Amino acid sequence: MPKCIIDGREVEFTPGQNLIDVAKSAGIEIPFFCYHPGLSVVAQCRMCAVEIEKFPKLQTACSTPATEGMVVKTQSDKVKQNQKSVMEFLLINHPLDCPVCDKSGECDLQDQSYGYGSAYMRTSEERRTYVDLDMGPVIQKNMNRCIHCTRCIRFGDEVAGIREMVAIQRGNNTEITTIDGKQLQTEYAGNYADICPTGSLTLKDFRFKKRAWFLKKTPTICEGCSRGCSLELQHEANVIYRCIARENKEVNKHWICDEGRFNYHYVQESDRITEPAVKQGTALQMSAWKQAVLSAREAVAGKKVAVLVGSDLTQEEAAMVQQFAKSKLASAPVFHFGTPGVESAKDDDAADSLLKRKSKTANLHGMEKLGIAPFTAMPSGVHAAIVFRGGRAQLPTLAVSTRIGVGVFKRSESLEFEAVLPGTAFAEKDGTIVNFMGMEQRLKRAIAAPRECKSLSEILMMWTNL
Amino acid sequence: MIVKNRPGIFQRFYLLEALKGLRITITKVFQKKVTIQYPEERREYSDRFRGMHYIKSVNGVENCTACMLCPTVCPAECIHIEAGERPDKEKYPVKFEIDSLRCCFCGMCEEACPKDAIKLSNIYEMSQTTREAWDKDYLMEQRGHK
Repeated sequence: MPKCIIDGREVEFTPGQNLIDVAKSAGIEIPFFCYHPGLSVVAQCRMCAVEIEKFPKLQTACSTPATEGMVVKTQSDKVKQNQKSVMEFLLINHPLDCPVCDKSGECDLQDQSYGYGSAYMRTSEERRTYVDLDMGPVIQKNMNRCIHCTRCIRFGDEVAGIREMVAIQRGNNTEITTIDGKQLQTEYAGNYADICPTGSLTLKDFRFKKRAWFLKKTPTICEGCSRGCSLELQHEANVIYRCIARENKEVNKHWICDEGRFNYHYVQESDRITEPAVKQGTALQMSAWKQAVLSAREAVAGKKVAVLVGSDLTQEEAAMVQQFAKSKLASAPVFHFGTPGVESAKDDDAADSLLKRKSKTANLHGMEKLGIAPFTAMPSGVHAAIVFRGGRAQLPTLAVSTRIGVGVFKRSESLEFEAVLPGTAFAEKDGTIVNFMGMEQRLKRAIAAPRECKSLSEILMMWTNL
Repeated sequence: MIVKNRPGIFQRFYLLEALKGLRITITKVFQKKVTIQYPEERREYSDRFRGMHYIKSVNGVENCTACMLCPTVCPAECIHIEAGERPDKEKYPVKFEIDSLRCCFCGMCEEACPKDAIKLSNIYEMSQTTREAWDKDYLMEQRGHK
């Protein structure tokens, strides 16, 4: 591999890599604003300028590919002077509203102002202000904080495939806005907030909910569709506050769709059944675990049972249910259900040009791997169904007299159930899911199960041993 | 360990000791008094005394923007803030509670505040008949003599 010298250290690189990435691999930080590994390079912010031997002027590291024998200095006086000047230039118009801004704590501008800027301000002029138009339900805009990195413009253009953000006016009056002040159309709008290096574009959903530094971060996998994008759940004190994309070059690069980003809300919705419930008369009544399990077992006793597994369960859970059906339910037939119209891996196509897949449950391909048949119609003679569900699979219409639900159910969905035994959702369990490429990815537990919810293994243990 | 103080021959003759004690009492009567008549009389405290918190407000609008720096810095974790939005202010504390029983009056919240909103007053009488935490409205009223 070719080598170049950065700050006196020999660093190996693959040809075509730019200096920011090469320096990063050696543990040397070059500050930048407009560069993003998932977007094209524009070299607009000038923050990453470094000194290269035999070049008369500073070169932007983001747009300069490393070459054999290149000698780069990132700490020279010239570079430091440039960084300081760029920081001062960017902060001329940046309001000092970090206490109000949701980005503070994870803000590139804040960090780099602290690291490379000056503590003093030499200008006394008024800062420019803008009136912001509504950007739709996902993104809150505050143009005053913008530093014109144009990451958002490039994201819409290059990734989301819809040109909706533009820069109008010039120089100091530049305004980044949607075309004609329209609301954002893309289904990937949450990424605008992720890539914005300042608090210019923030999530409405997360607005003023929590400061970034309080949040604990758990890397996990999205269960929104069969792609299985890498997510980071951010939570504190057992409440999930936000969900952002995690870099995964093979699956989702740096992006996630809004559906996956806001999918976690059902986990802590008030409509979710979090205590074991048994049907009494016409309504479901809260009861103790022991009673609920006993009455659920009684309801299916002596009947021919079919087991339905939601394709949003993990591999481990599905295998456990398979075994349970075989040994404890007299080899009852096991089917999987999930998205209507997408019964098997053959039906699971790309739903759009970027990430979304047609199967709206994560583990459809894993179910097939386990040899579970898709649910089409109830086999004849079956009078009871036990439905295992992770929270996202859509319940099919069941032509049976007795239904038992195990897993995550909403109160409104489960009116016809004899009993519901509350289980855990994707943020509350560890497990493996298989995405459409056949990649096995790990779900990681972020929060504890609410109230009386128990894991599937515990529920099945109670069912067999009580 | 129990120390047994065996009185000597002069101590056992109690009258002398009693007179000694009486001499101290009588001299103290004519000296300057160290006690004060508390509710009527009050001791002067330094301006830097750290008493009960208050939220500074200008024209009835609290200075606080719910930036959460005080709960971040608080070593006793006694400050609980919920942020919200209202037409006249982009971000304001919907809920601002101080659990006075946990508070150690270190004054770090005052030091961390970028908006000069949370301050410690001179008020040192903080006994209450209820167990409620100090809420925002209550804290905005308290100012001591500051």
